[in-house]
Amino acid sequence: MTNLALTAFVFAFFLAGFRRPFLLVLAYAYIDIVSPQKIGWGPLGSLSISLVAFVLCVLMWAAREDKSGIRITSRQGLMVLLLIYCGITTIGADFPEEAAAKWDWVWKALVFACFLPLTLRTRLRIEAMVLIMVVGVATITIDGAVKTLLGGGGYGELKLLVDDNTGLYEGSIISTVAICTIPMAFWLASHGTIFRPSWMVRLFAIGVVFSAILMPVGTQARTGLICVGVLGVLKLRSTKRRALYLMMIGAGALIAVPLLPASFTERMGTISNHQSDQSASTRVAVWNWTMDFAKTHPFGGGFDAFLQDTISYDKVVTSSDGKNTPVGTEHILEHGRAYHSSYFEMLGEQGYPGLGLWLLLHILGVVQMERIRRRYNKNPPEHMEWISPLADALQQAQIVYLFGGAFVGIAFQPFCYMLVGLQCGLAAYVGRLDEAAAEARRIERLIRRPVVAPPPEPLIPVRHPNAAGPLLGDESVPVQPQPTRLIG
Amino acid sequence: MVDLLALFVPHFVMAIAVWRLVSRDDLDDDPALPRKPARHDADKTP
Repeated sequence: MTNLALTAFVFAFFLAGFRRPFLLVLAYAYIDIVSPQKIGWGPLGSLSISLVAFVLCVLMWAAREDKSGIRITSRQGLMVLLLIYCGITTIGADFPEEAAAKWDWVWKALVFACFLPLTLRTRLRIEAMVLIMVVGVATITIDGAVKTLLGGGGYGELKLLVDDNTGLYEGSIISTVAICTIPMAFWLASHGTIFRPSWMVRLFAIGVVFSAILMPVGTQARTGLICVGVLGVLKLRSTKRRALYLMMIGAGALIAVPLLPASFTERMGTISNHQSDQSASTRVAVWNWTMDFAKTHPFGGGFDAFLQDTISYDKVVTSSDGKNTPVGTEHILEHGRAYHSSYFEMLGEQGYPGLGLWLLLHILGVVQMERIRRRYNKNPPEHMEWISPLADALQQAQIVYLFGGAFVGIAFQPFCYMLVGLQCGLAAYVGRLDEAAAEARRIERLIRRPVVAPPPEPLIPVRHPNAAGPLLGDESVPVQPQPTRLIG
Repeated sequence: MVDLLALFVPHFVMAIAVWRLVSRDDLDDDPALPRKPARHDADKTP
């Protein structure tokens, strides 16, 4: 029944897209985030539904969409460069088969991120995209949150809809992405027009935010807790009542901390003491290996180059016999450990040029959103009050991603490129508003320009064809009226 | 049961959203931006 319902939902989405082509863009975003083909069986599982949605939305855009006033932003250009560069490194990858497998979904994420801003021509489209991203992620987080509340959480134990620990269904990744969606959910609750602000909308938004905050608890991903902290600090800037906000955070923490499972607090304690934790020690060792690897491979080793790493480290081990707690070390040797960091993922796979492009893409995004946020913050034009808070929300989401990305390899996570595409779309929309405002001012100037009568042409005396007559325009000689001769 | 609930609620919200979007004119024409001239008007212009 679930499979049938999911299949029907996807096909209904496609049908709606044939009436309004932009809905196919949303359908692709939904499929990329929720992955219904992983949850369901039958046509969704066997068909490359993501590719079908992608081809359909591009074809429908090419055939039926208005392309006037399209603006290409510099960040779209950067993504095209990154796409080309990744293609080149894939050709010469150290592990061609594994690299080709990753390239298979990376190119789609990058092309869609380049394509998305071209379709985000209206405010409603931008809002709809935010909505699908937030509610799509909520599909996973609501499941995780309810299971966490029922006691089903734990490191590597929380089962999120599917038996698949990849993509957004991986604990650390969903923890980071879920926290990214919080500011976007708040924006929807305050400025949405598809679901206008009401108590029901606010209640749903609070539920979505709560489920997102529970993800680091349920998955026990330390990255998620860091993301919560970063977002808490960022919100300080955008909130109007800072004292009340701080008091609420303090009260919330006082209530929540005693209710948290002991395994969670123990695991979070290893953030500051990484030497006693194998997972954290592995990260540091892999990062050291990547820096050494980049010295000999400055242009990267292609996707999944980490498969060739060999790392060794000493893990601090304590064993208590009741009276004494001797501290010892255990030597660990591991092969093919993943980067556990987006920065090192870029450095190891794409080298310094790839890392540079990726950093530039995101730093420019933060700067671009800051400019838009400031510009529309005070006295925004009528009906433009939503722009500054959205720029703020997208900036916060990106900063959370950049912090979370330091501890989890999500440099090519499609959701994050959708975020970049959304930012480019907002920037292009603001650009179109500027163009429209400039055009309106030009027309207004033309309308208001006073109508001035043309100056009289200077009178130049000319000789009358009749030599006996006076000079035309010569006022010194009075013109004799000619007697009218009546005929007949 | 939990999976069903988690799947149903967001999909219900998305279904309503898509339903509403289908009938919204401002999905394609933003009121804050100049309207694109209709095709038959554009054809009349010399």
